[in-house]
Amino acid sequence: MGIAFASIWGLNMIRNNLLATAGVVALGLTAAPAFAAGTAANSNIVNTATVNYQVGSTPQTQITASNTLVVDRKVSMTVTEPGNAATSVSPGQTGAVTNFLVANTSNATLDFGLSAVDAANGTTLHGGTDNFNVSSFKIHVDTAQGGVFNGTYDPGIDVETAFVDELAADTSRAVFIVATIPAGRANGDDAVITLTTQAREGGTAAAQGAVVAQTTGANTAGMDTVFADTAGVTDAARDGQFSARDDYSVSAATLSVTKVSRVISDPINSTNPKMIPGAVVEYCIQVANAAGGADANTVVVSDAVPAQTTYDSTYGIFVGGNVNGTTGFCEAGTAGGSFASNTVTGTIASVPANSTRTLYFRVAIN
Amino acid sequence: MIRYLLAFFALTLPAAAFAQSDVTLTSEMFVERTVPQANGTAKTVLEKPDSVPPGAKLVFVLSYRNQGSAPAANFSVTNPIPAGVAFESAVDGGSEVSVNGGTNWGSLGTARVRNPDGTTRAARPDEVTHVRWVLKSPIAVGGQGKLSFTGTVK
Repeated sequence: MGIAFASIWGLNMIRNNLLATAGVVALGLTAAPAFAAGTAANSNIVNTATVNYQVGSTPQTQITASNTLVVDRKVSMTVTEPGNAATSVSPGQTGAVTNFLVANTSNATLDFGLSAVDAANGTTLHGGTDNFNVSSFKIHVDTAQGGVFNGTYDPGIDVETAFVDELAADTSRAVFIVATIPAGRANGDDAVITLTTQAREGGTAAAQGAVVAQTTGANTAGMDTVFADTAGVTDAARDGQFSARDDYSVSAATLSVTKVSRVISDPINSTNPKMIPGAVVEYCIQVANAAGGADANTVVVSDAVPAQTTYDSTYGIFVGGNVNGTTGFCEAGTAGGSFASNTVTGTIASVPANSTRTLYFRVAIN
Repeated sequence: MIRYLLAFFALTLPAAAFAQSDVTLTSEMFVERTVPQANGTAKTVLEKPDSVPPGAKLVFVLSYRNQGSAPAANFSVTNPIPAGVAFESAVDGGSEVSVNGGTNWGSLGTARVRNPDGTTRAARPDEVTHVRWVLKSPIAVGGQGKLSFTGTVK
């Protein structure tokens, strides 16, 4: 039923009957109501008014009038990417986690179905451009430990599932994509994941409810369902769904190896030693990591000692040193490594991006 | 003294019974809806729904009528704001509101609430707990009228 505004407000005659406003200052303690999600769906709004009056000087029995409205179900949700940054991964990494937050902004408890797709090449996010797909991924949902949802991924605890179960109005839940990154990806490669959630009926714990349907046609006397969600990255407004993206950005180390040598001494010349039998030669192996990538950790260097030479076990092996900027030869480092089967082996703990670390040893020419 | 009071009641009770002033009151809730018109303008209409979504703007209309045989004096209508509704305004400027459950009354402009630190601030419309109209003139026999206020479904 529709009635025009004027038919209700055309009653200014009563204003003249109203008492002048009493100058009472009301003081009270009132908490500000928070109603982001709104009054619970299917609850009643009951309005009751009371009339007091007198006939002559005699108070009459109070008269009350009331009527009731049912609150409809407003279905809306959001998916956000809390970090607003790509997850940095290394080639071949397993268990690479990117996280989302699914928030129920409806006025009812609902299930939220989850689906994720690896976005098409060319999709851009966080300054990167999608150019590969992850090898595989699974969807996990934050699972309470001792009643607490910690919002971070805990392997073995946060269960793999296709829906958020019984998410109360005005609450949110962390959702994790756990992926395996292909080996062989280069620094700066990017894989975008799109997560879409869809409102599903709540009410039954541990089981995914049916997809929520919007009430079509006229307003009914009972609780109607109205989609009120906005558009996500790949879904439309008011479709009972919401989508958001996050991405994996490969941070690889690009290593290069250089080997140089110099004659330290010979049995005859005190200066300017020559490469003659009995001379001592130092081999300097330089491992360089290009700028802009990840640190390379636990870099194992092995080098076969050349024929016609003998490893100098007295001098030993130095690892983790640097390159002298003037001479271009190895210096510093700590003694370590090992010599076996005529091969020198040593482990450099870390080669940071845009830097060089070394391993060096000496041999005597037979 | 007690004897006097009893005699007083004996006199007044029959008077009340014979008053014949039957005031009726009805309460209705409308939802405000904007309907686009063919000429591009928008028209605001009031519809009488059975159910409403959160955020809907409601118009509460109270209709009274004196269908008795005597004028109704000291006529007041009190309406607690229903749970689930945030009060916005009473269209009739002479209404009074309470922000503390009906203990104190006044205009919303003068109502103040106390902060946790003891200071006070002006009350917000959504903090109104009751709205009331007190008519200064008796309602004549056959007289009627409507009172209204607006609110939003939380």
